[in-house]
Amino acid sequence: MRKVAVIGAGMTRFVRRALETPKELSWEAARMALESCELTMDDIDAVCFGTAPDAFDGVHMNGEYASDGAGGWRKPFMRSYVGGGTGIFVPIQGWYHVASGMFDVVLVVAEEKMSSYYPHAQAAFLTIFDHTTERPLGPNLLWIFALEMNRYMSTYGLKKEDIARVAVLHKRNAAAHPCALLGDANITVEDVLNSEVLAWPVQRLDVSPVSDGAVAIVLAAEHVAKRLTDKPVWIEGVGWHLDTAYWTNRDLVYPRYVEYAARMAYEMAGIKEPRKEIHIAEPYDPFDYKALHHLEGLQLAPRGRAIELYLDGTAERDGDLPICPSGGLLGVGNPIAAAGLMKIAELFWQLRGEAGERQVPGNPRRGVAQAWGDLMQVGTVVVMGR
Amino acid sequence: MTFLERDPLAPQAWFGNLPAAHRYTYGLAGERFFRALKDEGKILGSYCPKCDRTYVPATAFCERCLGELTDWRDMGLVGELHTFTVLYVDVEGRPLETPQIVGLVSFGDGGIVHFLHADPESLVIGMPMRAVLKPPHERQGSILDIQYFEPFQA
Repeated sequence: MRKVAVIGAGMTRFVRRALETPKELSWEAARMALESCELTMDDIDAVCFGTAPDAFDGVHMNGEYASDGAGGWRKPFMRSYVGGGTGIFVPIQGWYHVASGMFDVVLVVAEEKMSSYYPHAQAAFLTIFDHTTERPLGPNLLWIFALEMNRYMSTYGLKKEDIARVAVLHKRNAAAHPCALLGDANITVEDVLNSEVLAWPVQRLDVSPVSDGAVAIVLAAEHVAKRLTDKPVWIEGVGWHLDTAYWTNRDLVYPRYVEYAARMAYEMAGIKEPRKEIHIAEPYDPFDYKALHHLEGLQLAPRGRAIELYLDGTAERDGDLPICPSGGLLGVGNPIAAAGLMKIAELFWQLRGEAGERQVPGNPRRGVAQAWGDLMQVGTVVVMGR
Repeated sequence: MTFLERDPLAPQAWFGNLPAAHRYTYGLAGERFFRALKDEGKILGSYCPKCDRTYVPATAFCERCLGELTDWRDMGLVGELHTFTVLYVDVEGRPLETPQIVGLVSFGDGGIVHFLHADPESLVIGMPMRAVLKPPHERQGSILDIQYFEPFQA
């Protein structure tokens, strides 16, 4: 397989309600990514597009509908969709387009416009549950997260005020992100604990916001990347993995689907001791406890002990293992597919030393980004290095 | 047996629905296109000088080069009949009392799909068609601000 580099990235602001259509959001991100590496559509061999359920944007075949904004016109074009995992899966798809030798330069775009769903995108999630055993109860995603969070907290004796530290750190980090929706440099644990209870133990500030936005990156084969930039960021490992389709049968305390995806990516990247060999982690953090869950699945903390990274300062931007220096989904926002690709873009900027105010000190060499989704059973992982 | 008749041998079923209500924004280009239609009674296109394409309805960007389109043009209300069909049944399969004509009217390198008011026998592909708009005070910034297209004689 050929080596593949990320050579450009662009993103729109993440907002609660964008004026732009899905096509226009995609276009803005795609154009910025192309301009960042001084390429035009003539240089692009293929386009990979990621967007989560059609229901959000309110257009069936949304991938095809928004394809013009992503540069899909008369190109080999493919949309991938693995729910919340899409934003990390679509660069994997782009990666194998290039690694296989099929294409030299691929544009990868992820877009989500959740505000179209009226009155609230949460209602779209009702439709992902089993129509006979669950939907008559009127469930939504908060139920699942609350049930899982309670199980996780109870198993390890974790406290709400500790888990709130995750939301605080990520939202504070996001204050330095120009595209962030919920950055807040002054937020405190008390703010999180005093926010509205949605589904105990999940409170308003434990959750990432519904958002609109798009992100794009440009991938290139080694011989092209070296010609176009002296700072390529290599995709060193990729992994994805699926757990059972019955969320009732899944281990709610430990995300196997992340572990196996991570092991696949680490093996490809030649990583044997992830905690020592990874310098930045962007775990998927739609909820604060979920970042902890995923750090354990990523083998960056022992089971039940990821919280210690936050309590002892390891997770901070200048800590030993900065976690979500972007601000994550909790701070930057969560336009589903775009949120995952935002993490890839963040690693790209961080590893090139171009993250500005958000820059992690010490010339980090390697990072991992992860997302989670489908019916809460898929893990997608990408390791990047320079 | 038609699809609408009940099969007495069908298994027990559970009825559910997928709730889906949406509120769409017009978007960058749509805001301008529909405002011009509503306020000025104009159909606007946007031109890409690099690719020499005129998009109608106007778009914010060129799908070929992803360049931003800033050259917006009044396309007039007369386009060219690209193709048409005559509808004899509605979506439920019931016969229509009066057959309805739907056509694609070309403007620039794009076009607008809309209802046509004409004797179907008189329609010839390639003939000029003119948009008939609602009176200004009834327009809402919708594609239905165009009531229909009709054959146009200069």
